[in-house]
Amino acid sequence: MAVDDLAFLIPLLPALAFVITFFFGKKMYSGGALIPIGAIALSCIISVLITINLLNNPEEVVHQSFHWFAILNLGILIDPLAAVMLCMVTFVSLLIHIYAVGYMSHDPAKPRYFAETALFTAAMLGVVLSDNILQLFICWELVGLCSFLLIGFWFHKPSAAAAAKKAFLTTRVGDVMFLTGIIILFSSISQIYSGNLPEGVYVLQFSEIFKLIPELSAMHTTILGTEVNQLTIIALLFFGGAVGKSGQFPLHVWLPDAMEGPTTVSALIHAATMVTAGVYLVARTFPMFIAAPDALIVVAYVGGFTALFASTMGIVMNDIKRVLAFSTISQLGYMMLGLGMGAVVGMEAVGVSMFHLINHAFFKALLFLCAGSVIHSVGTQDMRQMGGVGKVMPVTFITMVIASLALAGFGIPGTQIGTSGFFSKDAIIETTYLFAEHTGNYIPYLFGIIAALLTSIYIFRLLFMTFTGKPRTDYGGHESPGTMTGPLSILAVFALVFGALTQTKFYHFLEGTFENNFVHVNIEHLAELGHYHLAHGHHGEPLLILWMPIIVGVAGLLISFFIYYLRVIDMSTIVSRRNPVYQILYNRYYQYQIFIEVIALEITYGLSLVGEFIDRKIIDGIIDAISDGTIAIGESIRKVQTGVVQSYATAVIAGVGLLIILLKLIVEVQL
Amino acid sequence: MTNYMLLAPELILTLVALTTMMVGLFIGKNKTILGYFASIGLVAALSLTVSSLNANETLFYGTLTIDALSQFFKIVFISVSLLVTIASIKYTENDQNADSFFTLLLFSTIGMMVVASANDLVTLFVGFELASLSTYALAGFDKKDPKSIEAAMKYFIIGSLSSALMLFGISFVYGMTGTTSIPGIAENAGALVGSPVGLIAVVMLIAGFGFKMALVPFHMWAPDTYQGAPTVVSALLAAGSKKMGFVAAFRVFVVALAVLSPTWQTAFAILAVITMTLGNVVAISQTSVKRMLAYSSVAQAGYIAMAFAVMTPMAFAGGILYTLSHAFMKTGAFLVVAVVGYMVLSDNKNAKDIDHIDNFKGLSKRMPFTAFAMMVFVFALSGIPPTAGYISKFVLFSSTIEAGLVWLAVIAILNSAISLYYYARVVKYMYFLPAIGGKVSEPAPYAIALILALAGVLVIGIWPEPFVYWAMEAAKVLI
Repeated sequence: MAVDDLAFLIPLLPALAFVITFFFGKKMYSGGALIPIGAIALSCIISVLITINLLNNPEEVVHQSFHWFAILNLGILIDPLAAVMLCMVTFVSLLIHIYAVGYMSHDPAKPRYFAETALFTAAMLGVVLSDNILQLFICWELVGLCSFLLIGFWFHKPSAAAAAKKAFLTTRVGDVMFLTGIIILFSSISQIYSGNLPEGVYVLQFSEIFKLIPELSAMHTTILGTEVNQLTIIALLFFGGAVGKSGQFPLHVWLPDAMEGPTTVSALIHAATMVTAGVYLVARTFPMFIAAPDALIVVAYVGGFTALFASTMGIVMNDIKRVLAFSTISQLGYMMLGLGMGAVVGMEAVGVSMFHLINHAFFKALLFLCAGSVIHSVGTQDMRQMGGVGKVMPVTFITMVIASLALAGFGIPGTQIGTSGFFSKDAIIETTYLFAEHTGNYIPYLFGIIAALLTSIYIFRLLFMTFTGKPRTDYGGHESPGTMTGPLSILAVFALVFGALTQTKFYHFLEGTFENNFVHVNIEHLAELGHYHLAHGHHGEPLLILWMPIIVGVAGLLISFFIYYLRVIDMSTIVSRRNPVYQILYNRYYQYQIFIEVIALEITYGLSLVGEFIDRKIIDGIIDAISDGTIAIGESIRKVQTGVVQSYATAVIAGVGLLIILLKLIVEVQL
Repeated sequence: MTNYMLLAPELILTLVALTTMMVGLFIGKNKTILGYFASIGLVAALSLTVSSLNANETLFYGTLTIDALSQFFKIVFISVSLLVTIASIKYTENDQNADSFFTLLLFSTIGMMVVASANDLVTLFVGFELASLSTYALAGFDKKDPKSIEAAMKYFIIGSLSSALMLFGISFVYGMTGTTSIPGIAENAGALVGSPVGLIAVVMLIAGFGFKMALVPFHMWAPDTYQGAPTVVSALLAAGSKKMGFVAAFRVFVVALAVLSPTWQTAFAILAVITMTLGNVVAISQTSVKRMLAYSSVAQAGYIAMAFAVMTPMAFAGGILYTLSHAFMKTGAFLVVAVVGYMVLSDNKNAKDIDHIDNFKGLSKRMPFTAFAMMVFVFALSGIPPTAGYISKFVLFSSTIEAGLVWLAVIAILNSAISLYYYARVVKYMYFLPAIGGKVSEPAPYAIALILALAGVLVIGIWPEPFVYWAMEAAKVLI
């Protein structure tokens, strides 16, 4: 039997693990952790084997689809794009599950934790594997649910419960847009077929959607007097979903708060996998984006702005996990920016962006797990109370340094020497330069390069504040157990060398995503529909541009080194309530005030009060009256049921008589 | 040449029933083995029926027909009997009369199967009576319990009255068409159109079948009987013998009296609305779970009766699928009540009101599996996905809307909303109220029966396509 036939097991095994752990985990070793670990390990092996097959034979993607019921099809699609995600998700999830055995060892609710993370993994694999947009959406909602459950894992903590709610509601804004996009897409498709959907094909399958792109882009809708391309609307609504899930501006507000969950959850869901689902969605529907005028430009601007915006806030956070949360938002912005650059580089944008996604998964999961290791040992998340942790936790320190170098993108341009972040982030910045050269628009490039400088500053600030110097409080830490340092070391290896080893092959592999036996689209042709002018043959950037990212990276390192290691500048003058810039950054641009106090408390709460009055007094009044009435009727009819059999017989005969009369009357009237 | 293989399920069950009766006379106190024997016989009958799903033949000079519809309903009947039999192994554990229990159970199943296959009104009536007489005795099986005797007596009296009405209707049809053969009636039914005799015959037959289906106002025996009878027997009555009324109505109205459809369509529309509304509204105020399930069963009959009012192939498929789903979820729910009864009695031998909802308090702590199963069953009954109940309602209600009877669909959906109130209350009692008493483990026969019913509800709910297709095939017989 070919390994391709086992593809269905990839999401199924973690799903089964969820059921088993949830119901029987209590009695097993470590809350049943071994069940999800085994299941995900098997999924990982299958994914890797399928990916190897696909590498040898990139034209033959795995595709299975069968009808479930009504308008739902279940399908599996493993093309290069899905394959790399599958390997990454299963691999990272496996390592984090192993790590969690140590990290969660003191928690009494372990079975629930492992069951929920297993369910999350299954749902995430479902998102990746879907061959149609509807199934993708269902799994998309399921990962959202798991995220909600896991952020609120310590639900007895009010802040965790509030964060879970916030995450759920904020991402819901995006999800509604995504669903609206699907509905508009479906109705447009039925319009194209003039209401007669073809038999035997599933129109929401990606291959069918992509086939109809020319027809879709020919449709227009008028919104507020301007004519808008139908495909642009759909693509931007999909992007709205991605903005919510991937924490892009302005729906990024939930992600820093999501750090209330266990650190392993942050690493798995809010760094490596779920938050990248938005990027994956855009990559998956890339043919639609590139054929939709202006859509990619919006993606690029939102992504670029988010990258810069989030990194400025990362500089002033004192909570180690929040720094990393802003870093994640910023890096996701880079990925979106990379996808947006498809406007000039076409399909290569998917390769560049996905490459960063995979590399980011490794080093950001590593950063979070290192942070988790520190928190586990030190017992606080506030960096001001740490300092000198490197001495007591050497493994964590070394792996953290590697991860930081990868995040800051250290490497030597023009050679094969560099961390994985270097190869992918610099590639994105290079494409933005190409975009600038091609269109004369330097804004995305500036977003990218300034964010790179800030990235380097905040991550080395974190490193110096946490690991060097003298302990600022008496925390008495210790190195974490082997189940924790093991995954750290493995991830560190990947963060260090994955980029260098796979770069060219990776791009080449992903180029086959939309040209195989499942779907065959001509990106060049689609770009014409979207009025994008693709650049050709572009490998000749000036030396300064090639070196620029690494220059700003080193600059950031030096700035942090001087301020936080040598302490040549007294921070107290800058970090003060009187400094307006610090105030703005520390208060996160007053987003909380804007979102919560103005929008939520003033406007929404006011509306809610009106709504509550209508709901409580008027609607509930009616409902209560109806239900009271119903119950009263029930009580009175109940009395008819006397228990006397004679009256039952009377009812039967009376029923027959009445029915005859009634029918006779109705028949008479009808005649 | 008659293909007797097609009758093998009935023949096997007859043989098993007779053997059970005879062997029961000679073996001593422990008669549990007979339950296993009956279960094996039912499994054999089930597999034989499944193996001839697509048969299409008439036997015995056109008095019996084996077609997709009959096979579908036979599977419903055998499945319910099988579940009830397995659970009854525990119920009759120390009972001297276990042999008669299983014999009667098997005979009632055979009666239902004959009705499913009947192609002649006389055959149909005989099958009806065989099933009814066996269940009268079963309802009173708990001889020492006055409630059980009362249940049986009420059931018997109203049953006899209904049989008389049904026979009356049959005689009118025979008088006007000169035949009792269902295809024969279909040919000559023109004589009944526009004649008052036709109208009266239709109403009499509706009353006769409506007794089994528990349509309002022919339902009044049902709550008393379901509540008083042993719970396993209630399961058989609510999930199995009720469906006999539907398959008989399918054969007699849709096939034989198709030309009179304007009359009976209106009648069923009226009865469906009254039945589902009354069933749901009265169920709200019940404190006995068994009685609540009885009224819920009345309401469910109202939903299924919509198929007759809508009369499109899709609606028939929906109604037919509903009978299958209902068989699993209703049997399951009643068996849960039986398990809870067992639990209460094992706490206190002389407990009263063992089916009171208070006994469900904290069931999730005391019997986690049973509580979970009950949650699935009541959610299925109220039509929440991914359960069989949802799929059946979906097919049935959407066919109603497609046929243009939006008002009927709206009433049905409102009714489903009302029903959620009393179904969810059970879940509230099981999961949110504190438990009284310690953990109890389910006896194996009950557990097996619950697992099978649960599997049925969930498989149809999660993988509905083959079942919908199968129901469509069965519905094709009717058109």
